[in-house]
Amino acid sequence: MTHRRLGAVLLFLLAATAGADAPGVYAITGGTLHPVSGPAISNGTLVIRQGLVEAVGANVSIPPDAAIIDVKGSHVYPGLIDAHTSLGFTAPKSGDKAAEPAPDTLAIRGVKVSEDDADARRATGVTTIVTAPSSGIFNGQSVMLNLGAGAVEANAIRSPAALQVAFNPRPSWTYPDSLMGVIAFLRQNFLDAQQHAAARDLYERSPAGLRRPQDNPALEALRPVLRRELPVVFIADSAEMMRRAQALARELNVRYVLSGARQGYAMAGELKDVPVLVSVKWPAAPADKDDREDQPLRVIRERQLMPTTPAVLARNGVAFALVSGAGKTGDFLPGIRKAVENGLSADDALRATTLAPARIFGVDRQLGSLERGKIANVVVSDKPLFEKEAKVTRVFVDGREVRLPKDEKKSDVAASADGSPIDGTWALTVRAPQGSVSIQVTLTAEGGQLTGTFSGDRGSGDIRGGTVDGNAFAFTITANAEGAESTDWAFRGTLSGDTMSGTVSTTLGSFEFSGSKSK
Amino acid sequence: MRNALCTLLLALSALSVAAQERVTLIRNATVLTITNGVIENGSVLIRGSKIAAVGRDLAAPAGARVIDGTGKFVMPGIIDSHSHTGVDGSVNEISLPNTGMVRIADVLTNEDISAYRQLAGGTTTALVLHGSANAIGGQSQIVKWKWGRPVSEWIVAGAPRTIKFALGENPKSANFRPPEGTPRQYPATRMGVEEVIRRSFIDARDYRASWDEYEARRKRGEAAIPPRKDLLMDTMSDILAGNIDVHAHCYRSDEMIMLLRVADEMGFKVRELQHVLEGYKVAQEIAAHGAGAGTFIDWWGYKAEAYDATPYNVALLMRGNVLTSVNSDSDELARHLNHDAAKAMKYGGLTEEEALRLCTINPARQLRLDQRIGSIEPGKDADLAIWNGHPLSSYARVDTTFIEGEIYFDRQQDLAQREANRREKEERLKKEADEAAAKKKDAKKGEKDA
Repeated sequence: MTHRRLGAVLLFLLAATAGADAPGVYAITGGTLHPVSGPAISNGTLVIRQGLVEAVGANVSIPPDAAIIDVKGSHVYPGLIDAHTSLGFTAPKSGDKAAEPAPDTLAIRGVKVSEDDADARRATGVTTIVTAPSSGIFNGQSVMLNLGAGAVEANAIRSPAALQVAFNPRPSWTYPDSLMGVIAFLRQNFLDAQQHAAARDLYERSPAGLRRPQDNPALEALRPVLRRELPVVFIADSAEMMRRAQALARELNVRYVLSGARQGYAMAGELKDVPVLVSVKWPAAPADKDDREDQPLRVIRERQLMPTTPAVLARNGVAFALVSGAGKTGDFLPGIRKAVENGLSADDALRATTLAPARIFGVDRQLGSLERGKIANVVVSDKPLFEKEAKVTRVFVDGREVRLPKDEKKSDVAASADGSPIDGTWALTVRAPQGSVSIQVTLTAEGGQLTGTFSGDRGSGDIRGGTVDGNAFAFTITANAEGAESTDWAFRGTLSGDTMSGTVSTTLGSFEFSGSKSK
Repeated sequence: MRNALCTLLLALSALSVAAQERVTLIRNATVLTITNGVIENGSVLIRGSKIAAVGRDLAAPAGARVIDGTGKFVMPGIIDSHSHTGVDGSVNEISLPNTGMVRIADVLTNEDISAYRQLAGGTTTALVLHGSANAIGGQSQIVKWKWGRPVSEWIVAGAPRTIKFALGENPKSANFRPPEGTPRQYPATRMGVEEVIRRSFIDARDYRASWDEYEARRKRGEAAIPPRKDLLMDTMSDILAGNIDVHAHCYRSDEMIMLLRVADEMGFKVRELQHVLEGYKVAQEIAAHGAGAGTFIDWWGYKAEAYDATPYNVALLMRGNVLTSVNSDSDELARHLNHDAAKAMKYGGLTEEEALRLCTINPARQLRLDQRIGSIEPGKDADLAIWNGHPLSSYARVDTTFIEGEIYFDRQQDLAQREANRREKEERLKKEADEAAAKKKDAKKGEKDA
């Protein structure tokens, strides 16, 4: 209840700001224009009127009613689109089953982007996001949203944008608690939706003599997906996971997009027929030299090849966009830069954050380039945007200039500034009856969500279902013991400065664990 | 036009593949055919994916790759009828007493290094099973360890569908405890395990009846809403129809008898009893049902239900006319199933050929793939390994492992690759160290500027 009230207040505040600053007429002059739909124009002029682009070119006459904004020496871009975020949603506390989204969960009804979060995103050149909850198997139906002032409804560009599906097993002893269970669960849900649609249609045509089919909003929500009207975004990062998602999508005959896709470098040839959202949250090498050397070549090689994925996809003619995915706000531009360092051209990087995502979500007639008649989302930066030292200086959303964080220094280092005390590498010891087990985890918190990796005595991989709420946290790993069946270990604990402790639930019982932060 | 061109290109590429079909001749080796005795100074001719000829004086066709087998032994690829290798995520969908709707085939991964290690032990085929946490587990998958290939190629096309059942301690949650706050799951006793299995088949009959009724109404031209298509009930119906083979994890003889009786009552067959440590007590009953037995030779005592065991189990089962194999249930044991086969000669006096059958043609028959694998015979898949000594000796090692005519493990290549891997790792680590140093320098410079 308090949450809802807070949201309402926020919306009211945003709406108040909007009224005070209606979209006017601007001529942005003197900068290098990057329309994306065509070649760059040096010393060009961009005219914005009533929220739309009115003119763009080298020889554009400035309308007399326009306010002139001279950006000589700067670069002007269409606002970037980050086509996969969970901005505006906090992860539910682990074990809170009621909070799990369903196919009929509409992101537009739940999204609450705080002003600070919107500011921080815009400072990275992003004016438009696609967002949905990140919890559950069905994450719900995402919304494409401008990061402008005003109510969510006013900023929505497309809702629903897509049905988002993650291969997230539920906690142990709740079906489905394994990856194979998740796939079976999805298969059954789509079969049920087909049956539901057929039964409803039959009943509506001629109800006499038929038992009335039950109402079911969740299955009803899958109808546009079955009709191939609404695409499904499957979150799949590894090559095998992408292949699984592809096989499932073909089996279910749904239109789909893959998101995550960091191992795309290994299978670009198999991605010709599917749009891909590549997460630029690249894996980091362990800070400690000994830890790096202990890792197998396969892990090191994979970590170094992942940032080549965008370049490899570009070379292979795959339709792709770059997204922040599970990454933090401040990771987006550095992540794109790393892709450029690894062979992606700056032009392709720009396309992959503007026109390409607009096309993937079917909004390229109104968004994604600086063209007459399109939505006036405009970003100005002092240097080419994907260069290391570049700073975003002005941002227009729907033709309205929006504020940037006042302390520029702070926004520039957003990545480290919004760090949580749980961020970092932790050495954990689990006191199991057969002896203690050492596991190292590297954790990152954002918006109540915990992501990261683990390695040690029980194999290595990504953590799953991570949440953090104040000092309380929880996450799950898939533990592998030599010669035994792999099982889930669910950690639940509390943080106290540079130490943490709690319990691990495993199939063999609950054990205590403790750990400390590695320097 | 474009289509025609594509068709032409496809036809051409198909031709060239056929023309380039690789021919390999292994000669002068001791060939352990399994089904046709031992051929000293023998040869095996491989054409494409199949064994073309086996004999004493085979000539090498022009262009054939010739491998000298002097002093070496050729044996069929080992078949492991109980594996959990190559599974992404948990091998147990633990949440329900019957999870027959989930499929191992959906979650195979080709990144499990254990698959490669098994090739190095001469193992080429495995039944990858769901775990044993529930009375009826998920659908299992027969694979070949085609290391380096996508998992779609690991799956043995046309192989029988299989499912895991489990009896005893595990499905009654004696060894799996839910976390605090989660209620204990049914069943909690062996009686309950039996009830889950029986109930599942009764439900499946009801399910079939509802579909039959629907089809009948449609045939009569009446309006009817189709019943829900239920993946779990489809699985159970397919077991009743004989389309899915049951491989059941079990330890105690009383629960084996229970399952065979429930199977007779419900009208399905148990293809293979797995682990089956007390099988020697009821070999007659197992043979009468027609079930096979896949067991460990000398691995027991790790839980209460696994105490009344003997290494003579294999011999006693075989002498009782039960189709018996040794299998692994372990990434480690799967690398040397030949040792377990050899131990059966000490415990129970099996002949060499009987021992070798335990990990070749017998599991092939249990998996109903004996027309394709499990022995060295013309027409069968060219799945075999060249050993540097007799595979029933603990000193023997595998030099080369073939699956369908392709080499998937070669000891010399592996040794050569190690140096290249070492160098690559060194270079990659240096790259990261350099980047870290540059970043540090940048940060220092930034501080100074500020």
